[in-house]
Amino acid sequence: MELTSQLANQSFPTLPTYDFAASLEQTEAQSAVRQTVGNPFLDNPRMTCRDVAVFYGEKQAIRHINIDVGCNEVLAMIGPSGCGKSTLLRCLNRMNDTVPGCRVEGEIRLDGENIYDPSVDVVPLRARVGMVFQKPNPFPKSIFDNVAYGPKIHGFTTDKAELADIVETSLIKAGLWEEVKDRLQEPGTGLSGGQQQRLCIARAIAVSPEVILMDEPCSALDPIATAKIEELIAELREQFSIVIVTHAMQQASRVSQRTAYFHLGDLIEVGPTERIFTNPRHRLTEDYITGRFG
Amino acid sequence: MNVKSLFLASALTMTLVSTGTAMAARDAISIVGSSTVYPFSTAVAEQFGKTSNFKTPKIESTGTGGGFKLFCGGVGVSFPDISNASRAIKDSEKETCTANGVKDIVEVKIGYDGIVLANAKTAAPMKLTRKEIYLALAKEVPDAAHAGKFIANPYKTWKDINPELPATAIEVLGPPPTSGTRDAFVEMVMVAGAEKFDFIKAMSKSDKNAFKAATETLREDGAYIEAGENDNLIVQKLQANPKAFGIFGFSFLDQNADVVQGAVIEGEVPTFEAISAGKYPVSRPLFFYVKKAHIDVIPGIKEFTAEFTSEKAWGPEGYLADKGMIPMPDAERKQVAADVASLKTM
Amino acid sequence: MATENKQTMKPFSVHMNKDLQRRYRAEKRFQRCGIAAIAIALSFLALLFASIIGSGYTAFRQTFIELDVHFSEDLFKDENLAAADYAGLIKQALRTAFPEVKERRALKSLYMLVSPGAAFSLQDMVKEDSRLIGSRQKIWVPANDDVDMLIKGQMKATEAEADRRLKDDQLGWIGQLEKDGKLETRFNTTFFTSGDSREPELAGIWGAVKGSFYSLLITLLLSFPIGVAAAVYLEEFAPKNFWTDIIEVNINNLAAVPSIIFGLLGLAIFINFWGLPRSTPLVGGLVLTLMTLPVIIIAGRASLKSVPPSIREAALGIGASKMQMVTHHVLPLAMPGMLTGAIIGMARALGDTAPLLMIGMVAFIVDIPGGFTDSATALPVQIYLWADSSERAFTEKTSAAIMVLLAFLICMNAAAVIMRKKFETKW
Repeated sequence: MELTSQLANQSFPTLPTYDFAASLEQTEAQSAVRQTVGNPFLDNPRMTCRDVAVFYGEKQAIRHINIDVGCNEVLAMIGPSGCGKSTLLRCLNRMNDTVPGCRVEGEIRLDGENIYDPSVDVVPLRARVGMVFQKPNPFPKSIFDNVAYGPKIHGFTTDKAELADIVETSLIKAGLWEEVKDRLQEPGTGLSGGQQQRLCIARAIAVSPEVILMDEPCSALDPIATAKIEELIAELREQFSIVIVTHAMQQASRVSQRTAYFHLGDLIEVGPTERIFTNPRHRLTEDYITGRFG
Repeated sequence: MNVKSLFLASALTMTLVSTGTAMAARDAISIVGSSTVYPFSTAVAEQFGKTSNFKTPKIESTGTGGGFKLFCGGVGVSFPDISNASRAIKDSEKETCTANGVKDIVEVKIGYDGIVLANAKTAAPMKLTRKEIYLALAKEVPDAAHAGKFIANPYKTWKDINPELPATAIEVLGPPPTSGTRDAFVEMVMVAGAEKFDFIKAMSKSDKNAFKAATETLREDGAYIEAGENDNLIVQKLQANPKAFGIFGFSFLDQNADVVQGAVIEGEVPTFEAISAGKYPVSRPLFFYVKKAHIDVIPGIKEFTAEFTSEKAWGPEGYLADKGMIPMPDAERKQVAADVASLKTM
Repeated sequence: MATENKQTMKPFSVHMNKDLQRRYRAEKRFQRCGIAAIAIALSFLALLFASIIGSGYTAFRQTFIELDVHFSEDLFKDENLAAADYAGLIKQALRTAFPEVKERRALKSLYMLVSPGAAFSLQDMVKEDSRLIGSRQKIWVPANDDVDMLIKGQMKATEAEADRRLKDDQLGWIGQLEKDGKLETRFNTTFFTSGDSREPELAGIWGAVKGSFYSLLITLLLSFPIGVAAAVYLEEFAPKNFWTDIIEVNINNLAAVPSIIFGLLGLAIFINFWGLPRSTPLVGGLVLTLMTLPVIIIAGRASLKSVPPSIREAALGIGASKMQMVTHHVLPLAMPGMLTGAIIGMARALGDTAPLLMIGMVAFIVDIPGGFTDSATALPVQIYLWADSSERAFTEKTSAAIMVLLAFLICMNAAAVIMRKKFETKW
């Protein structure tokens, strides 16, 4: 998959498959927005994106995206590198604010409230929309402190016992409790990669968010650790809305209920995961999931 | 690391610094000036600090000119009380002083310092005249073939100048232009040597600038080597190179008499007695200047000048003589001491 | 893969072997160059240390002479103990030791054997314990620097008498004192406890050490917090625009500015404009702060940059404010690097004389400073002043002071290593 993608990018002239480079030129030439295939809207959404466009300086990264995130569902965002799926994900909790020169247009609502409204404070927003990153990034502190950090700074509790309770519940939810309960004071960086990522998930859920964003959470993990995280995602869905960006299509098909396919800043197709993987309607979606290009 | 405490500490320091500004009184005498007078001034200061109830004066070695600049800056605790000098105060400096409100100054002449041209003990002693030294070190010298004309210094060895001198290459280590010793050497040896030529002497009246250039510019072709302000270093270099000569103060010759020897100039050996008697030609008077307005403000100035002008300090048997300062004749000492005691201003 | 590449891909061909050997030879050559460079650097360092220690170790010992001092009551009639003629006591003791010396000139050269500081040490003894008055004591007093030089072999007794600072009769007395066991070298405590002096045997570095200490304390207290705050602001908060670019360029330039410039600036601002007292550690510390700040800011920014962005994202992602992200996570991780930078800056400040020259800290100061507004010098200044003194005995004092300065620098660098270890976070 990776190899084909590279080959495609290098645009070998002899390759008989889909001409990716040509399509790239095309899209840049034609500035018209591609119509999204499938219905991106839901009846009772948790988050809504309307006409969202993101610019990095002069360069436009995503264009006029409309999509909803439902309650208690896992939405998978897939697409080739540079398609804008991570950019959109990072808009959902305004992590893009930290990128210099980044500009977001359109509106994104969480429970009906526009998160890009000037009156909205990003600090509580990020407590409501947690994030798990590609590479496990626990703080260089003890396991306990890693999980307790969020509740502490948001002032959830000042009581030590209560804090310990939150830490325990979060670790249980993240499926890590049994493995670390005897060594809570050891550094979080001493855990294995998979454990670290689950610690990061525990850290995110310790502040009881409504939505958890996951940016390729398994790309740095081995298959066994990946399987555990996937199991965990399935469990977490009962409590949270989850948006996951992934390169592994099998993963998307395993964990998500809905899948959105992005291509060069456009949302090409969105629909129930099963339908997308069995019966894609757009040619680009089909090419991507059948492995014609990465 | 607790960042809050760090910032607190910095804030505290700021306050401390700003309150420090308020305090301005000074209880120790502040002395600046010549590096030649520095060793003598410090010796007196130390003795004064140990035997009196006053604080030991603080002495900065700024050079004579730098000293006057600070001294003439004004009246008040932030300006020095005394300035040491290896020459008398210039009129221009006096004007600056007056302009800044420093009107009454007491001049105290303390003794003499000799400048010597010395080489290593391992080499033969030299007998020179100032004219010969001038010919050896000036950048341009009178042309022997065409009277009244200058040529680039052609002399490579001492023998080229005077057949009686040895055939060793001319190599003299001396202080850089910033040094007071250099100024004194140029004035007392180079200018005096040059004036032995009548036409140059005539120039001093007709064309001052040309006269200055002719007499005060030292060779730049390697015969004169600027060896820095550190006279100890010159002494060490002379030991390593017996062919070379060095220019430095008499006190360094006095302290290192076992390794270096002074050249005989105009028939006079640089000895304590010869300089004291005024026979050795390359010697200069040393001074210090007291700001009269400060005498009743800063404690101990009167007592300090009294210590400096006491027989046990500046007398022939005094401790300043041990440090290499050449005392003045008895009568002159008496006169100066009396003037100082009565605070006679210039 | 592609077939046309087969020719060059034969892995164990003769051609390949030759090529490999050539590459190994190049590596060997490079390694040898590296080793040679290190050897040259080390030998220079060894030479430096050998010459400094070789000429300076003798300064830690000092020649003392034992005198039989009679504190006769007649001398202490006055109430004021400081007014008594202690020099007279020393002279009297010397006369009793050598009763055969009668003539005035000879007596004077006899008195020259003992340091002028001996009288002051008697004075201190009496001040401390007035019961000494009337008693007879055997007291070790410091010998004059010339005697000290002779005993340490730095003055040759074989030169002609006229060229020696110690004359034949003095050599005779010294020989006799040595024979009687009344002359010996001892550890030179004066060197570590007293301030500057014009007499080499009385000169010490304690005043300079304290001056350096007070200056550096001010420098540390000001430059570290300001430097860290500036670095944090520039690196984490400041917008990237024309002005911050200008500031960055200027800070980098300031780090390379000759230190004398900071001295001139200090003279103009702190002394002439603010009216702070000249020659004090307060002003010295402020000037050294100016000099150290760019170094700390640059080191601080570099260590902030080295904190992985994933930690910043993690903190922000959980809802930490920018300030919390910096103080809770980024700063602790950057702290070891910042401390190293600070200590390197401080070490540079410790060793610099040029900026102190302009603000009057290059001065003869005997009294040991007791605070930030007392006149003081600093260690490198003391070295510079001694190196310029005519007395031969100051040569070894200079080297000894350099050894002390080096010891301080080594301690500071060791502290940097220890702090870095202590604050370093295990990943």
